[in-house]
Amino acid sequence: MNPIRNLFRHPIRTGLAIAGIMVTTAMLLDMVLLSGGIERSFERLLLGRGYNVRVSPKGTLPFDTDATIPGASAIRATILADSAVVAAGPLLGAALYARRPDTLVTLFGYGVDPAAQAIYQLDAGSDLGPADSAGVLLSQPAATLLRSGVGDTVTLQARLDPEAAVAGVERRLVVRGVVHFLYDYTGQLSVAAWLPVIQDLARVRGEDRVSAFVVRIQGDSELAAATERLRAALPALEINSVGDMVARFRERLVYFRQLSYILGTISLGVTVLLVTTLMTITVNERLGEIATLRAIGVSQGSIVRGIMMEGAALTLAGGSLGVLLGVVTAKYLDRILTAFPGLPAAISFFVPEPRSLMIAALVLVLTGILAGAYPALLAARSPIAATLRSDAT
Amino acid sequence: MSRRGQLPGASPILIARELCKDYPMHGETVHALRGVSLEIRPGEYVAIAGPSGCGKSTLLQLLGGIDTPTSGTVTLNGAALERLDDRALTRLRLTKVGFVFQRFHLLPVLSAAENVELPMAEAGMARADRQARATELLGYVGLAGRSGHRATQLSGGEMQRVALARALANRPAVILADEPTGELDATTGRGILDLFRQLSLDGVTLVVVTHDERLAAEAGRVVHMLDGRIVSDTA
Repeated sequence: MNPIRNLFRHPIRTGLAIAGIMVTTAMLLDMVLLSGGIERSFERLLLGRGYNVRVSPKGTLPFDTDATIPGASAIRATILADSAVVAAGPLLGAALYARRPDTLVTLFGYGVDPAAQAIYQLDAGSDLGPADSAGVLLSQPAATLLRSGVGDTVTLQARLDPEAAVAGVERRLVVRGVVHFLYDYTGQLSVAAWLPVIQDLARVRGEDRVSAFVVRIQGDSELAAATERLRAALPALEINSVGDMVARFRERLVYFRQLSYILGTISLGVTVLLVTTLMTITVNERLGEIATLRAIGVSQGSIVRGIMMEGAALTLAGGSLGVLLGVVTAKYLDRILTAFPGLPAAISFFVPEPRSLMIAALVLVLTGILAGAYPALLAARSPIAATLRSDAT
Repeated sequence: MSRRGQLPGASPILIARELCKDYPMHGETVHALRGVSLEIRPGEYVAIAGPSGCGKSTLLQLLGGIDTPTSGTVTLNGAALERLDDRALTRLRLTKVGFVFQRFHLLPVLSAAENVELPMAEAGMARADRQARATELLGYVGLAGRSGHRATQLSGGEMQRVALARALANRPAVILADEPTGELDATTGRGILDLFRQLSLDGVTLVVVTHDERLAAEAGRVVHMLDGRIVSDTA
C-alpha cells in the first residue's frame, strides 16, 4: 500500500489532478497573502522608521486632505513634554515647482526636521544638516528629470500667481543627497527641505503650519496610555497610533478582504472536489483489490490510512508546486497593482506572513487528507464477499 | 515449509453447522446455501466441487469469515466467527486463514516479494523477518528469481504462485482457495495443482473450491454440492 506508487498507476490523470490542485493552491495562497497583505505592508511602512504615532488635523489621516495645523512649534513642544515621547517631527507637504531652462516641473515638497523625520531614507550624498536652510534632497525620479546630482543647485518655486503665472517665492537650494521617499508612488517627483524653507515657499511660515507630526513613543506598553494623554493634551487634533491607523485602513478594506476570503474559500472548495473526485474514481476502480486486502486480513484502518495518504500526497505535490506558482503570480499581480497612480510604491498587496502561510498549508494538507477520507471509508466498509462476487462477474 | 503430516484424527480445525445463506436478487430471495454442515481436520486436503451457482464459493466465504451466514455457525480454530466483531474477524483472517482467489488479486504496484510481505507487515512482523520469509516462500512456490518483479510483469501462473505465497505468509491454520486454476491454461494449472499437492504433503490444511475435476481428484476428500446442499462427501 504505497501511496506514491498507487498515484502513478495513472500518471496522466494524476498529473492533471496535481495541476488542478497547483492552480487552486496558487489562488488560495494569493488570496491569503492578499487578504491581510496590504494591511501588513501598510503597518510596516508606517513603522519603517520607528515612529508609532501620527498627529494630523482633526478628522483626517496624514495627507488625507490639504488641511494643515497652525502653531506647529507650540504643538511640538506639547507633544515632547509627555514623558513617554522620545521624538516628534513636523511634516509639511506642498506643491512646488522646479525651474528648468525651458519649463517648470511640478514637484511634491516635504518640509521636515531632518533629526526627526519618518518619510525618507538616504540613498546617496548626505542628509540635511541641522537648520539647513540652503540644502535640498531629491527623489531619484526628480534628480533624473532635473538632471541634478549631489552638489548641484536647483531652483524651487511655489504658489504660482494664477493671473501672472509667476512664482511668488523662489529659493535656490543645493542638492545634499538623493533619497527614496517611503510614501511616494512609483516615479513621483519629490523633494525635501528643512521645514522653514518649505513653509516659506508655501507661504505658511507666519502661521507656522504643518500637515502632520510623526511621534515616537518609547515602549509598546506605554503606547496606548501615551496616545490617550496626547489626545487629552491636544483635543483639536487627530492623534492615532499606527495600530489605530491600520484598524481604520482595515475598515476601508473590508470588502476587499471579504472578496479575498470568498475566493480563497472557493479555491479550497475546488481542491476538496478535485481530490475527492479523483480519490473516488481511484477507489471505485480498486474496489475488488480493496476487498481482497480486507479478505486477507488488512484492517479497515490500514486501508483508510493508505487512501488518505494518497490524498495527502496528491495535495502535497500539487500544493508545493502551487506555492511556487502562487509566489510568481503574486509578484506579477503586485507589480500591476502597485503601479496604480497615487499608491505608495513601498506598499505591497501580497505580503507573506509565516502564520498565515502555516495556516494555509495546514488547511490544505488537512483538506487533502479529509477529501480522501470519504471514498476511503466507503471502500473500507464495502461488503467483502459481495464486492469480490461483483468483481468476478 | 516446516509442517509435515496429516492429522485426520485430530479435532476439527473448521466446523460449519447448518449454514444457510440467502441473497436478495431482483426482488427475490436466492437460497445460496441450505443447511450445510462440514468438519475439516488439520492437514486435510478438501475439494469442494459442483456446478456453477451451487453455493461452493459462498460456502468458502462463510468458512473464511468474509461473509456472514443467514443462519448457522462457523467455528475456525476454536473461535465462533459469529461472536467476533469486525476487528477480531479481520485479525483472525490475517493470522489463521490464507486466501487464494481465482483472479489472484495482487497489488500491481508492488513487487512479488512486497505482495508476499503485505500480510506480514499488517501483522506487525519486523521488516528483516518478513523479507526473509517472503524469500523463503517465493522459493517454495518456484519464483526465487522473480521476487523483484512487479505483479504486472508476471504471467498468470506466476501471479497465482505469488498469491499462494502471500496466503502462506502468516502460517495460517487453513488455506481457502476459490477456483485457483480458473484463470489458467491447462499446463499452468497443472503447476498450481502440483503446488497444492506439495502443500498437502507438507501438512497444510487446504480447502479448494473448484469445478475442475482434475483438481478435485488431487484432493484427499471431495465434497460435492448441488443447489446449496452437500450431496456427497467422499474421502
